[in-house]
Formats: sequence, C-alpha cells, structure tokens
Amino acid sequence: MTNRELSRREYLQAMTAAGLATLAGGAPKLRAEPVAHPKASADTVILLWMAGGMGAPDTFDPKRYTKFEVGVPVDKILSTFPSIDTVVDNIKLTEGLEHVAKVMDRGTLIRSHVVADLGNILHSRHQYHWHTGYVPPQTVACPHIGAWMARVLGPRNPAIPAFINIGQKLEGHGESEELKAFTTGGFFGTEFGPFNLPFPSDAVEAVKPPKGMTPERFAARHAKFKELLKASPVGEMATDHHHESMLKSIENAHRLLTSKERDAFDITKEPKASYDKYNTGRFGLGCLLARRLAESGARFIEVTTEYVPFLHWDTHENGHTTYARMKKEIDRPIAQLVLDLEQRGMLDRTLVVLASEFSRDMMIEGIPGSTARDQSRAKTDKLGELKHYGLHRHFTGSGSVLMFGGGIKKGNLYGETAAERPLVTTKNPVSIRDLHATIFHAMGVSPKTAFDVEKRPFYATEDGKGVPVLDLFAKGK
Amino acid sequence: MRSFLSVITFTICVAPVSAQPKDKQTDFAHEVVPLLKTKCTKCHTNGTYKGGVSFDTREALVKSKAVVPGKSAMSELHKRVVTRDADLRMPPGKAEPLTAKEAATLAKWIDDGLPWEPGFTFKPATYVAPLKPRKVNVPAAKPGLEHPIDRILDAYYTANKVTPPAQLDDFSFMRRAYLDLIGLPPSADEYYEQEGSLADLRRPALVRKLLNENRAYADHWLAFWNDALRNEYRGTGYIDGGRKQITAWLYQSLIENKPYDKFARELISPTPNSEGFAKGIKWRGEVNASQIVELQFAQNVGQVFFGANLKCASCHDSFIDNWKLADAYGMAAIIADKPLAVHRCDKPTGATASAKFLFPELGTIDTNAPKTKRLEQLAALITHPDNGRFSRTMVNRVWHRLMGRGIVHPVDVMGNKPWSEDLLDYLAVYFSDNGYDIKKLIEHIATSQAYQSKAVPLAKEIAGDGYVFRGPELKRLSAEQFLDAIWMLTSTAPVAKSGAFPGTLPPFPATTPKERQFIRVTLVDCDPLMRSLGRPNREQVVTTRPEQLSTLQALDLANGQILTTTLERGAANILKANPKATPDELAEWVFVRALARKPTEGERTAAKSLLGDKPTTESVADLLWAVVMLPEFQLVR
Repeated sequence: MTNRELSRREYLQAMTAAGLATLAGGAPKLRAEPVAHPKASADTVILLWMAGGMGAPDTFDPKRYTKFEVGVPVDKILSTFPSIDTVVDNIKLTEGLEHVAKVMDRGTLIRSHVVADLGNILHSRHQYHWHTGYVPPQTVACPHIGAWMARVLGPRNPAIPAFINIGQKLEGHGESEELKAFTTGGFFGTEFGPFNLPFPSDAVEAVKPPKGMTPERFAARHAKFKELLKASPVGEMATDHHHESMLKSIENAHRLLTSKERDAFDITKEPKASYDKYNTGRFGLGCLLARRLAESGARFIEVTTEYVPFLHWDTHENGHTTYARMKKEIDRPIAQLVLDLEQRGMLDRTLVVLASEFSRDMMIEGIPGSTARDQSRAKTDKLGELKHYGLHRHFTGSGSVLMFGGGIKKGNLYGETAAERPLVTTKNPVSIRDLHATIFHAMGVSPKTAFDVEKRPFYATEDGKGVPVLDLFAKGK
Repeated sequence: MRSFLSVITFTICVAPVSAQPKDKQTDFAHEVVPLLKTKCTKCHTNGTYKGGVSFDTREALVKSKAVVPGKSAMSELHKRVVTRDADLRMPPGKAEPLTAKEAATLAKWIDDGLPWEPGFTFKPATYVAPLKPRKVNVPAAKPGLEHPIDRILDAYYTANKVTPPAQLDDFSFMRRAYLDLIGLPPSADEYYEQEGSLADLRRPALVRKLLNENRAYADHWLAFWNDALRNEYRGTGYIDGGRKQITAWLYQSLIENKPYDKFARELISPTPNSEGFAKGIKWRGEVNASQIVELQFAQNVGQVFFGANLKCASCHDSFIDNWKLADAYGMAAIIADKPLAVHRCDKPTGATASAKFLFPELGTIDTNAPKTKRLEQLAALITHPDNGRFSRTMVNRVWHRLMGRGIVHPVDVMGNKPWSEDLLDYLAVYFSDNGYDIKKLIEHIATSQAYQSKAVPLAKEIAGDGYVFRGPELKRLSAEQFLDAIWMLTSTAPVAKSGAFPGTLPPFPATTPKERQFIRVTLVDCDPLMRSLGRPNREQVVTTRPEQLSTLQALDLANGQILTTTLERGAANILKANPKATPDELAEWVFVRALARKPTEGERTAAKSLLGDKPTTESVADLLWAVVMLPEFQLVR
C-alpha cells in the first residue's frame, strides 16, 4: 500500500459522518447491495466547462462557412468561421482553435452529445441537469457529479479537497441562486461539496491565514484554541459524536491551511514561461490551477469559463465576434493543459472533459419542433450589421464534447451531425446520462452506484440506467 | 431494521426527453412488482403461503423452489403460468391468466437471475401509525414527579431499565433554554443576576419570560418555518413570478403566536398574503409530471403537516409505504384549476384525478365544488379534531427541536413507530386541547424534568428501532444561532434588515436586554458564510439541519473573511466598551457571554497568555475565535 493510499484511508476514517446533510429520512447510506465497479482508467477528472451554451458549428463541428456580407439571408448561414485542419485527418475544427487542433491526436472529439430539450430554455436548469445528471426540479437535493466522486472515491490526497470548482462567482448576478442549487454536495452534505475558487489568482487566499494575519499569529491562535479546549471542562461530552466530529473537521481544515500542498493553489509559483502560456484570462489561469491541483492530488476539478447571463458563450447576437474572443481564451490553455499532463506522465490517468449545457444554431431554438421561445436579440432575415452574424439560438439536437486522457481513445472522432440544418445528430447519440456513465466508468465507479435517500435508492446516473460508451475507450481498458 | 425491509426503488422517472436506448435488464420495480402484486401475492405473501410458496423476499422465493434463477424453463413458476392445464395454472381458478407479454416478462426476470431490490419485501411493515387522537392515562403523580411528561417517562424508564438522566445545573439550563426558545445565549446581566442570587433559578418562570419575548421568539423560529414552508429564497421561480413569498404573513403569525390549526388553515385555504406555500414553485419549461405545482402541493402538505412522504407516490404507487398514486393525485386535484390528467412515471394513464383527502376516513372533498371551496374543505379536514396525525406530527417536530431527536424518527416519517406511543399521544392531545398553542406546547415540554436533564453523550447516531430514550441529545447551533450569538457577543449585527424583508419590525419589549435588541440573521439576506454553515437553498422542504460540522465549514471558520472581519470588529467594540479591563476580566467577559459560565482556572491561564499583558484588537479577536470554535459554544448541551 502506498503512502498516499494509506493517508486516504486515514482521512476517510477521520471524516466520520461529518457534514452529512440531515435529510428528511435520515442521512444517506451507501446501499447494502454491492455493485460491480469497473477497473479505473483514471484517478482524476478535470472538467472544462463551457458555461452558457457553446455553439458547436462555430467551435468543434464546422459546417458550411459563409462569409459576412450585408444582405446574405441568415438562414443560409451554418458556420461563421472557416474550418481548419487538425493533426488528425478526419477531424476539422473552426478557425481560432489552432492549438487544440495540434493535440487532437491525444483525445476524442464527440460531436453527438444530445441533451434534453426542456421546453422553455433556462441555462441554469440545463446546467443543473448536466452537472447532477437529473432534470430539475427534484424532490431531493441532487449532488454535483464532483460530489459523487468525492463521496465515493474520497480525496487522492487528504490535504487537498476532493472536489474543487474554479472560476465561477456564486454571488452578484442574475442566476446565482440557480447556480448554487447544483454547485453543491446535495444530500451528501457539505463535506463532499465543492471547494469554490472563483478567481484563480486569488486561490491561494483560500488556503492561507485570513487577510492581515501572519502565519505565526495563525499558528499561535490554533495552539491557543487547543489549549483552551484542553482546559475546558467538557467531561463526558468529549465522547459524543457531534463533539468529536467537530474537532476532526477543525483539525482537517487546519491541516489544509498549514500543509505544503498549499503551494499548489499559488499560481504565481509557476515558472513565468509556463504561466504566460496559460495566461489568456481567468479561464486560462484556471486551467493552470487545475493542473497544479491535479498534480497535488485533487480528485475532481471543474474549470469554467463562468456563467453570467448574456456573457461569454451565452450570446444571442454578435456571436461571431464573441466567439473569436472566447476561442482565444480557451484554445491555448486547453492544449497546454493536455501537453503538460502528458509531459508529466499524468495524462494516462487524468480524464480531461470539455462540455457545455447545450449547443447553438443560427436559426433553431431548442430542437426542430421545440416550443421554446426564440430568444435571439437581433432577429433579422438578412445580414445587415456584424451583430447579426452569429445569432446563436440554443440548440439541443447535437453538441460537441472533448475528452483527453484517462483511457480514452486517441485521435478519435465519435458521432456525426447533419451537413445541413437542422444540424441534428445522425450517428451515435450520447446522452448526458451515458456521458456521465462513461466518466464514472473511467473513474472506476459503477453508474449503478446508489445511496439510500429517504429510503429510496438514488443512483449516480439517472435511475441507475447510464451505460458507458465503451467505444470511447482505448483497447485494453 | 424494519425501515430496510420496506425499501424499494426510486421514483425519478425518465426525464421528459431522453434519447436513451431501452435498458435490457429487467426493471424489477416497474415491470415485475406490479405484476406480482396483481397476480401472485394475494396467496403467496404476508402469512399466506399457499403450496408453501412465498414471494415475501427473493430468498424466500428461491427457497420455495418455485424458481431457478437464470433458468425460466426449469422454473415451476414459469411452467405454472404458461400451462394450458387449468388445474395446474397459476393464478388458479377463475383468475385471469397472465397474458403472453406478462409471462414473457416473468420469464425474462427469471432468466436475468431474478433481480430484486435489496431489502424489498412484499410483507408490509408491522407498525401502522394510528390516525385518531388517543387520550393517554397518565400514571399517577408522585412527590417530585408531577409533570405529566415525567410521569409517562418514569414508567418508560422503568420498563426499559433506564436510569433517568441527572438534572442540569442552572446556568447550563439557562443557556439551553435561551438558545432553544429564542435562539440566543443569555445576556451578561441575566447571567450575573442568577449568579448573585441565593435562590435556585425559577425555571418555569424563565421559560415563560422567554416565550413572552415575542420579537426574539419570532426572529428565531422564523428560520424553522422558512425551511419547512420553502419561504425566503430568491432562486428559481422568482425570475418569472412562479413563486411568492409569505414572509409578512409568517412573521406576523409568529409574533402573535397564531394557533397552529388556524395557521395551517390559512396556508391551505389562503389569503393573498399566505398563498405562496400552496402555490409552490412554477418552473420555466417542461418538468416531470411528478413535479407540477399541483403535486408539489400534495407532497409539501403531506410532508409538512403529516410527515408523510408522497414523493414516490407522485410518480407511481409507493414501494416504501402504502401511499398510492391516487393519493398524491387526489390531493393534487384539490388545488388544480383544471381537470388533472393522471400520469404514471411521466406517462398519461388516461384517467383524470378526482379530489381526495389523504385520510378519507375523516371526510371527503367535493370534486365538483369550486377550488376555493375544495381548499376550505381540505383545510377543515387537515385540522379536523379527529386528525391525530396533524397534532402528532407537530408535537414531534417541537420535541425534536428541543430534545435533539424526535419521539418518531426521522421527523418526516411519521409512519415509523414512536419510541413511546404514550408520550407522543399524550402531547398531541395536550396540544389540541390547548387550542394548538405552540408556545404553550413548548412551555409544557421545557418545564419537564426531561428537558431540564443533562444531555446524553452518544458515541454515534443511533438509527432504526433499537433507540431507547435516555435523555436529551446535543444539538448543533444552526447557522442563524451561531452567527446571532457571535453578533450579540461582539455587537456586530447589521444596522438594518434586508430590503427584501417586508414591513416594519415590531419594537422590542422594554424588558428585553439591550444586547438582545439587534437585527437577527433571519432578517437579512443569506451571505456566503451563512450558506456555508447550512442556511439552505429552499427548493425542497427542509425540516432538519446538518448536525455535524464539515471540513469545508471549518475552513470557512478558520480563514474565511466574513468571520475574521466580524471578530476583528467585535474585538475593537469590546475593547472600546472595556477600556480598563485586565486580561483576566476580559477572559471572564467573553466566557460569561459566550458560554454562560465563568472560565475555569486553566481556561483563565490559557486566555490570559493569549491576550498578553496588554490586550490588543488582534489578541482579543484571537480569543474570540478560540472560544467560538469550542464545541461547547457550537453545541447546545
């Protein structure tokens, strides 16, 4: 047994039931029935979240390109970027993704991710669905997939929180409450919830003594707390589980705040050349932070481009210009992350997934025939000005997902979409449920893993019915 | 272990549009159970085992030799359902034989290896919770044993060979009663007044005094009701008017201690001010049929007022208890504006729901009456004098809040067996006989010796039927209690309530100590620290809060900016108010207010060495931190 495994075991013992959400029906327990877990091909997941709905035809699924010209009928337009070659013959991307194009031989591109059409489109509902595997509303608080990993697998290193969420502010914008609804440990409780780091550059603050407090004072304060505790006339109460688990949690927190692994959170410790490669903005630095945390032993890391209503990927007009900027932000850091993981010998055991809550189309809202309201903000029949170029209605009939490492096939293209509108999936559809099952499978967790919640089984994938897409894995897995 | 025996599958049915291939494995819960229930179990379960064949459990069925898992062709069960020989065929006699499709389902189930939900049994649970109230013959009083609760418990202790818990000292009692009843620790004056008194604390008088502090009482209990009624939350549903607050109505109801039956009637048959609860949350877009607002109403009424879980039954007949799809839809139809199409697992059954009360033995709802009339009828049935489930559920919640664990556990599963039926039934009748007066109920419990006993340390949480009551349990401070106590200790409460909180706040009674006159956590918007410590997103009904401190919460307490800043400000306030205090005096100042006791010698030494000779804002802040991190501070003992 390695030291790391040993410490993980100790950590799990130390956790007791701390932080379990107390539920209407009592705390959730792993179901007695054993499920057969697959052999893991990955130890860590890095989810690169394209928040706000990334349109595939202008990113990873190029279609017929139409240049901007005044007077062009908008329903003729499929892609607003020309396609580019990648290092894999049959995989083309759109202009602006040249760095990712160079690492496509390290992973798989899925073009057939089909998500549910929930009628009237609300980003946060689809994001809830993608992150928890369940369509809201639900009668119990569903855990984020990262919380599942934290609960079932635990941390790889007890000094690093198992589930880390990078880049998303949870306060101060229109749908922040909705984001909180799925950015959570759900019924597993906060022990398994996300460690939120909205600003990668400030991440180290989250594991340092509070602002204005020297490490010496911080250490002394903790020592005095222990002294007071020792002098405190607790008597027999010390044996109570509330009491005991409280002290364990306080010690766990203190260990994180004083461990040497804290350096992983400090991206200024990265050599300048490397830092600069990632520094395209918050998302790029988030990728750098994710790599450092993966190296130090995080279990599940999400890095988001950040969801703020009508920002970034959430565009309903002027999509072309916005996408040019977004691609600039994501292209180089993603490629660098893959290369860095490979160079460190970690890519084989680290699964990198890029996904979004749905795709977009110039003309169609939802899926063909959907009742969803047309939310384009610059409705027109013909291109008049640049803001008409990339109207980007929400589209659920197909979408792109990238996967690198963690046992996934290399240089592989999976699924297919129609050449002409509607750009629906024509081959090998992959649902959220099965995509989650695939991620769980890579991590060695059965998609049928279940916990008893209010006496009912609640499964890792919806109703326990997720089926991993085994075709996505390299042979031998 | 009864709770395990009735387990079966979950009810979340497939989402509205999922492009999933059909699962190949037999779905026991949805395909096999309904079939066995209609065709086999009448003669082969629950004590009746014709031909020695039992379907109670998978083990029993295999043992009966009726099936060979994996081999339908060799299984008697399969042979018997497909045979053309009327003497051998099952089900026998005039019963309708299985269709070819049903027989194929059974055969496939056997061939799949007889998959079964772990723990599931067709044998129903043995305990059936009574509906009607029951008057309990309380054992006779003895000297020193007058309170009816204690007389019932005395008999209970004897029967269960339990040594009654020892009584709590006055100061520990004070801290417990203050925190439980108004959510704050006692003020320093209140502490010193008792400390200087030669007489024992007059506990019943203290309980009454606290309950009479309407403002502090309402500020505290508001959190409990916001949780239960899904109120005070700004998320989903509010964007497009799919949700409505009831804060003004709720707060006023607490201030005036509205009788609980009237309170419930106003929620069910509402005014514009109280209709938010019944209206539920209308989500934008398509939702699963089991989550439409009408069924949310059924689920929430069931959970809040009856501790009945209709979540399963909103989708199909429940496998974990006896609630049926028709029960959930019957309740939903009461509030529906239009005829409500029944859906089973998100697919229409073709039937239209007709209004039906959960406990039809108490009365009926007129399906053809207008909606307001139906809701009036429902409100009357919920609060019907014969509806003991209504009063039992509420007294159990209050007992849980005060004692740390319900008489029925968990509090939302009122079908479970109470550890003392006498106590539960006695309290329920006491409650209804006293006009459903919640404060009176709290007073009754808080003046019992049981409430005034020392907490019992438990090495771990006891689940299941093995529980024996030995005394109150430790309770963790809620996010609101924890921060309120810190704000009171450090004079750092916000200066104004949230703009979203409606109306003006009533003044504090003149007798309320100054330290207690501040804006409480329930009156302001949730901040990240409150959220971290467990103030919930109220998308679901919440009736209990997390009992244990998690690592991430401890992290927020250790280096989070909100607590740090609060304590620094608080330290400055304390030094300003006590410019000449010695380290020793400061240590006592903090201990008395935080823990309702003076520091021990050892604690004085530790605190003094922390503070140094000349206390500074920094060192006082550090002392405050060390004290509020103590389990003694974070728990009600």
